[in-house]
Amino acid sequence: MRILLTILLSLVTIFGFGQQVNAPDPKTFTLNTAGQDGSGFSLSGFNTSSTLLCAVGLPSTVAGTTFYFTTTTGVTASSGYTMSGNKTRISFTGTQANINAVLASMKINTGSTTGNVNISVSATINPTGYFYNPNNGHFYRPISTGANFANAITLSSQQTFKGQTGYLVTITSNDEDLFIFNNVPQSNIWFAADDRTTEARWVISAGPEAGTLLRIGNASGTNQQNVYNNWANGEPNDWGGNEDAAVTKWGGGFQWNDLSVANVNAYVVEFGTWTNPDDQTFTEFYSNSVIHSNGPTLTNMFNFNFGSNITETNFSAKLNKRNDATSQWVSAGNFVGLNGVGRVILTSQLDTAKVYTTAIQATTQNDMTAYSTADIGKIYKMTITGAQGGGWGTDIYTNDSYIPAMAVHAGVITIGQTKEVYIQIVEGLNDYPASTRNGITTMAWGAWGLSYKFVSEPSSYRALTAAGQVEWCVLYDYDASNQRYRVGIDKREFTGTNVSSNSVTRLKLFDLWDGPVTFKSDDGTWAEYWINTSTQFNFAGSSFASSIRQGNGFWGLSAEFSFAVNGAYKQHKLVMNDYDSVQLKTLYGSIVTVSDVYLAFKELSNGGIMGNQSGNEFGYGIQFKNADVNDDNIFNEADCFALLQDLTGAKNLVSSYKLENTMKIILDSTYATIGKSNWQQFPSYLGKEYPFALSDGKINYTYNLAVTWKGDVNLSHSATPPSNGITTMSANFGMKTQTTLPTAYTISEIKGDSLIAYIKFNPNMNEIVGTQFRVNYDNTTLKYTGTYFKTTGSPINFGTDKGSYINLGSINTSGELLDGSTEYRLVFKLNKQIPNSLGLLSISSNEAVNVKGASVQIKIQ
Amino acid sequence: MKWIKIILLCCVVSIISCRKFDEMPTPPKVEDIFSVKELSVSDGQDIKFSLQADGIYTLTLTDNTTEQVVMREKIVGKIGVNSLKMWTKSLQSKYLYLSLEDESGKQIGKTLLLIN
Repeated sequence: MRILLTILLSLVTIFGFGQQVNAPDPKTFTLNTAGQDGSGFSLSGFNTSSTLLCAVGLPSTVAGTTFYFTTTTGVTASSGYTMSGNKTRISFTGTQANINAVLASMKINTGSTTGNVNISVSATINPTGYFYNPNNGHFYRPISTGANFANAITLSSQQTFKGQTGYLVTITSNDEDLFIFNNVPQSNIWFAADDRTTEARWVISAGPEAGTLLRIGNASGTNQQNVYNNWANGEPNDWGGNEDAAVTKWGGGFQWNDLSVANVNAYVVEFGTWTNPDDQTFTEFYSNSVIHSNGPTLTNMFNFNFGSNITETNFSAKLNKRNDATSQWVSAGNFVGLNGVGRVILTSQLDTAKVYTTAIQATTQNDMTAYSTADIGKIYKMTITGAQGGGWGTDIYTNDSYIPAMAVHAGVITIGQTKEVYIQIVEGLNDYPASTRNGITTMAWGAWGLSYKFVSEPSSYRALTAAGQVEWCVLYDYDASNQRYRVGIDKREFTGTNVSSNSVTRLKLFDLWDGPVTFKSDDGTWAEYWINTSTQFNFAGSSFASSIRQGNGFWGLSAEFSFAVNGAYKQHKLVMNDYDSVQLKTLYGSIVTVSDVYLAFKELSNGGIMGNQSGNEFGYGIQFKNADVNDDNIFNEADCFALLQDLTGAKNLVSSYKLENTMKIILDSTYATIGKSNWQQFPSYLGKEYPFALSDGKINYTYNLAVTWKGDVNLSHSATPPSNGITTMSANFGMKTQTTLPTAYTISEIKGDSLIAYIKFNPNMNEIVGTQFRVNYDNTTLKYTGTYFKTTGSPINFGTDKGSYINLGSINTSGELLDGSTEYRLVFKLNKQIPNSLGLLSISSNEAVNVKGASVQIKIQ
Repeated sequence: MKWIKIILLCCVVSIISCRKFDEMPTPPKVEDIFSVKELSVSDGQDIKFSLQADGIYTLTLTDNTTEQVVMREKIVGKIGVNSLKMWTKSLQSKYLYLSLEDESGKQIGKTLLLIN
């Protein structure tokens, strides 16, 4: 057995089993930001001593995105690549450990365009003589010995590699053309394009794209739209009447030409028929990918505002956002705390403190080579004089292009004119096209690491606050003698914005001020400015007054607001965090009480007796929804019975005490439309989530959400619907307004081995039909044995042991009144002999319900 | 054998020397809880008060915020110092008034309890 295990272990070590490429979870990158964490890919299961080929690419990725590695130890870039610098693709070789170290150091640079950032990583045992293109997942084998065109097609189709049949390379994109150009040293390389069948009708003649029309006509012909062509100027020309096949890298340049099919040229065999690397079916080849988002970012402020008379703080919430690419909810790191219960006003407002700045002053320079990728996005201003000179690109120029000439080329200045211009550092491109403009001719160039472009004078930068940070802006009391305000801005406002405190010239503070400021000081934590104004701000009159707090000698703006960076166009949802079920059970016990049960019975008897009808007691449709506790869209005696069972402890209203079983979150405008006649048309709304969307480009949002509860028939802990002329939007506790309260007298004494507790109830002229008391007890000393009821009439009496408290009381669902002879006698057995019972019992809540269904507080005397 | 005894003696001395002798002394007990206006109590704590006569008395716990009675207990009091137990596990409030009344309902003492 031991020998067998040893052999198996050796096989695993030698050959490797379970090889795979592991991909990270999707995440969101920030636009125009270099060096973002792209780690998370790793290889596993490969023979640790084997040399592996690893390819990394960005297929179908938004323009402007590149990646680079900060660690390249122990790996060798494949032919045509270098490990350093920003990339859109690369392949390299090394051991599994070395490759994993490289992958772990991956950094992503993003551009200014929104879209997906698709990162694909593939790995296999390094096949000598083959090149892998990570952007389409194909292998290419250059054949330097050459062949005529017909043989090149035939010989290519006779080759197999990793389970795939080869074909003469097809060139269907600039990217693929460049790949061949960079990796095959020979010139004049056959590829599968010819007009052998019909002169001047150029088609792809091999591979998965065989038959695709490229071009009709020779030199004066027309390329097919959306089909890649790269003919040299004046080509194809069918020189001598016998040039019927195409070569790339003609004469060593990056262009095509038509040549005689009899020529012997190098060619390339391509393997792979798919367009997405993830679809590859090579044997012993492993790949994986992740689609990150590169969404625009807005700094959203969500204001969770609860009514002042909401006292419960028994659950919290978080704000989740969704990755549109994967439809997965992303919760890590992006949430806003929320406490309370009742009506939620959810709003988001942007730019409550807006920071404006000017461009960065730079000395006049010939080019922008002094700057790096870390400066991408920054705008520099400098005074230059237009002149002749060289450069590469059009509109976007390589950073070593001569600025005075490129400014002329871009049209922002004329030759000899001296002017202040604004130059923004932007990411490098793969292709800088040549052109002639305004008398300046620029040259073409391939991939380059950094670029610049001319921009208009910037009007503003908005300061962004990083996730979780608190935005602070303090406005001190008005200095009347100097007619100015002193304002301090938390330096965290400047995070990631390339804004320096002394370059801020304008401020927007809510609707109080939007104008110039003078820089005063910067102590590293606060940047301070003067606002010179002869008019004092009207804080009370501000539409943001509720968000402005007056401190001791200063006004705090947007205090207590947390921020999160969210993808603006993505769907979000408000999720109430699961709360501790014990405490939720306690809270729920105070939500569904005797008055809810009685009110349900009363509604049923006063008109709704036949079920599914509206009676006289419920004022709002939501009361029917809450009373319909079995969620069958019919309110009838079954619901009343279930409520009664919950009250008396016979059966709980919910299977388990979770928010999704008890709570409802409803858009306030919807909540208002739930009427007595149409409540069945609405869903049950049970759940702890509310999804909503933020639109790209929109900066202000308000979501008013109503919170209500299953079984909360009298809406004691729910939002009051804002319809039917009722305008109060706070939770309704208003029914507890009796002037002469019912009373109860309690006393307990030890008798032998028992503790007897009495509760004597007096309705005090109130028409009481039900009572409910919660009597807590120390279950380490006492054991509940029962309650003896003394009541007149025929109420339903209940005394349910909940483990650490007794829920007891009476209810006359028929409307018969309880009188002053009502008495409850609770009996507990003592677990040990004790001299007294002080503190072993306590009454923590109580409630009565009158004949009208209103909740009435009991005064315990 | 003699050496073993010496070693054991050294060990005992070492252990004793490691004991913490600088603990804070326990504060003196309040002899009459109604002699102070406010008192911190914990579960199972003894409370004492003095009575002028034997008889039936009631102890009442009242919530300081809601002024609701949460418990009332009838006890048999004796002349002189009476010692009772105080439990706190069932109590939901942090601050409670404890009052003592005689058989005629006359209040003899009252103090604010801070429940730990």
